[in-house]
Amino acid sequence: MRTARRVSQLLFFLLFLYLFFEAVYPYEVALPADLFLRASPLAAVASILASRAFVSTVVLGLVILALSIPLGRFFCGWICPLGTVLDATDRWFKRPRRKVGQRESTRLRSWKYALLVAILAGSFLSVQFAGYFDPISVITRAFTAVLLPLLTKVADTFVSLLGRVSFLENITFSAYNRLQEVGFPTQQPLVRGSFLILVLFLVILVLGKWSRRFWCRNLCPLGALLGFVGQHRLTHRTVSTACTDCGVCQLMCRMNAIEDGYRITRTSECIECMQCVDICPEGAISYRLGLPASSSHKGVDLDRRRVLGSLAGGTLAAAALSVGFVGRESSSSKLRPPGALVESEFLDRCVRCLECVRICSSTGACLQPALLERGVAGFWTPVADMRHGYCEYNCNLCGQVCPTGAITRLSVEDKQKVVMGTAYFDRSRCIPWYRNEDCLVCEEHCPIPEKAIRLEQRPVQLPSGETRLVKFPYVVEDLCIGCGICVTKCPVEGQPGIFVTTAREERFTARGEKVRKEEVPAYGR
Amino acid sequence: MRRRDFLRAIAGSALAAALLPEESAARFLRPADVPADLAVARNGEPAQLVQAAVEALGGMSRFVSRGDIVVVKPNIGWDRLPEQAANTNPEVVAEVVRLCYQAGAKKVLVFDHTSNRAQRCYLRSGIQAAAKEAGAEVSFVHEQKFRNVEIREGVELKSWPFYKDVLEADVLINVPIAKHHSMARLTVGLKNIMGVIGGDRGAIHNHFARKIVDLNTVVKPKLTLVDGYRILRANGPQGGSPRDVQLLKTVVASTDRVAADAYAATWFGLGPQDLDYLVEAHRRGLGEIDFRKLKIREIDLGS
Ligand code: SF4
Ligand code: SF4
Ligand code: SF4
Repeated sequence: MRTARRVSQLLFFLLFLYLFFEAVYPYEVALPADLFLRASPLAAVASILASRAFVSTVVLGLVILALSIPLGRFFCGWICPLGTVLDATDRWFKRPRRKVGQRESTRLRSWKYALLVAILAGSFLSVQFAGYFDPISVITRAFTAVLLPLLTKVADTFVSLLGRVSFLENITFSAYNRLQEVGFPTQQPLVRGSFLILVLFLVILVLGKWSRRFWCRNLCPLGALLGFVGQHRLTHRTVSTACTDCGVCQLMCRMNAIEDGYRITRTSECIECMQCVDICPEGAISYRLGLPASSSHKGVDLDRRRVLGSLAGGTLAAAALSVGFVGRESSSSKLRPPGALVESEFLDRCVRCLECVRICSSTGACLQPALLERGVAGFWTPVADMRHGYCEYNCNLCGQVCPTGAITRLSVEDKQKVVMGTAYFDRSRCIPWYRNEDCLVCEEHCPIPEKAIRLEQRPVQLPSGETRLVKFPYVVEDLCIGCGICVTKCPVEGQPGIFVTTAREERFTARGEKVRKEEVPAYGR
Repeated sequence: MRRRDFLRAIAGSALAAALLPEESAARFLRPADVPADLAVARNGEPAQLVQAAVEALGGMSRFVSRGDIVVVKPNIGWDRLPEQAANTNPEVVAEVVRLCYQAGAKKVLVFDHTSNRAQRCYLRSGIQAAAKEAGAEVSFVHEQKFRNVEIREGVELKSWPFYKDVLEADVLINVPIAKHHSMARLTVGLKNIMGVIGGDRGAIHNHFARKIVDLNTVVKPKLTLVDGYRILRANGPQGGSPRDVQLLKTVVASTDRVAADAYAATWFGLGPQDLDYLVEAHRRGLGEIDFRKLKIREIDLGS
């Protein structure tokens, strides 16, 4: 059984990896790259609760939630990629040796329920922090912000070293090129604040020092959700009379789910990894299907005070966050991805997985996780950093991979008409305006067929008395869609000669209607 | 080119010669076995046009020798489809590659330092697929392969990073497309060289004429082949709207890069003197701006 579970973990992890690396341009794929995110019951419940609407993309998450009622936390033991990573890294840590019968503390495990309650309370009040703790989001974020940039960097370094050895040069570059043809970045992906994402991820791994699957036991709100709904599951760890009370199973259980006496299982904790079946020296343990017998299992041991406390805490946090101050300048300079829902709905739906950021890094490379520019409530939601990258005119990929529909799925033709914002020249920095010399890099790159940047040629008198014909660029407001490539490519050092703001921005309602800022009363938030 | 067409073309030229005043007659009257220095092929499909134009210059073996490593440099700058005429026509590129191999090239390399994301441009321009099919090694530009080159004849630029593959190739064949460009007015061959340099390319736009000529003193294509199958008449260099595309069905090949550009300028109603970078290039001895002074052959494939 243990082998079957390990094979399943490995296969699902490979699938996760495959889907992660598949999320690149041109993204013509059979399986959606956000499959795992859509399959997360926590993301599903939280986004549905927050948007008070049925989110069709997360059906898979609801299916898994429903399956967990009879099957318990099988997702944790057999599927979850973060769980698999933890099972792998937990081996690195030496923990104090315990003797048989010395059970690890179970004190902390109610934390995850508290967290879950707080998250759901927040979701209900439209302050979404499920994504910060959803394990699939956690691992997708870490891969996007750290693993991929790191891989690229390592590959680059490797190639530049090998490329210097003359007889290896050709083979090295052509191998690298082959890799890039199948989607490896041709441009170093970089994610703002990746350091923080790395540290938080490492913390989750290092907690394994205290106990195996520390995160899953004590912190994971998804684990809490599945444990809660699956506590009366129909799969039972059954101990036969062959048991000699040796206690190995309790000692080895990664979830500390075996109660004293070894016959009773905490169904809300047990992830059905089946390790105990295999390690029992007497072969006394088996898994059976059937109605739960009260003598062999115990469900969630919820502490009512703690639940009420976290309900209050979640509510308070939600209330406090929703009155947070968001600076007009910082928020208007950070554009949302094309097709993003109206801000309040966007914040409700987005699970901060950064899948959009990941795929964008293979095309226009503008999307970055926000820090505090969009307010605390917008932390790690995607915003465009147009100086770093731009929104590629012919691209619609972020909407294709957003698991919760926070970014509307649009055809390329429709996306080309979505106004993300508007460009403005800063005449004190734009070369023709401040130096009276031609430049026009922005005009050249403006992807609008009729050109949203146009030129007016006029003679100017230079300080030397000489007259010169200079082409002065200006923006045709009605044509500009705020794609930002003019900002990316502006050759002026540092602060560019052109910038974009959210002026004229268009967003979408959950029903797929395009709306202008002025048309939505509760838009700003 | 089919023999009949060829004969017809010669006959046509002879007739024209009889009717035209002396100076322009000179361009039609070159005997067939004297290779031209500038050839214009019209009214054919991309591959035929390339064949005819290169043939008229004396065949690819005039430029490529057995065992040569050849760089064929198209414009793959934009995430646009062939019909949008923002990149060199993929079949033109493929045919040039084929001719190089026929002439005995050891390896033909195709790449461009793109403006939009490389993967997107390579794929959507159709060039990656077409050139590979013709046997070329198509690769993305790697940052580590730029080498700083001292520009001895430079006026504005004293050194600039150039792509190693171009510096080391035996032969460079420049295969630009002719497009409108708001700053340079027109982008053809000389500007296409911006695709083999690294560094801050946006900075080249300022004092463009002098800088682009500086860059062109470093790399010298033996053959420039201007793709005029479709040209982009307005809103270049990216275009995007079919309104701005003209189906011209022409290819110009020349040993003289300045003349090739000057010829292409006539499609846009521009005289060579209208392009300050061509004037600058001519002044600094890169080529002949008055293309009429060259041995010209014009071929009409009549389809
Ligand atoms: S549509 Fe724009 S923002 Fe979205 S992934 Fe593509 S380039 Fe990035
Ligand atoms: S908007 Fe981006 S970060 Fe948010 S849920 Fe969608 S894909 Fe994930
Ligand atoms: S943001 Fe700049 S490049 Fe994009 S449409 Fe507007 S003016 Fe053009």
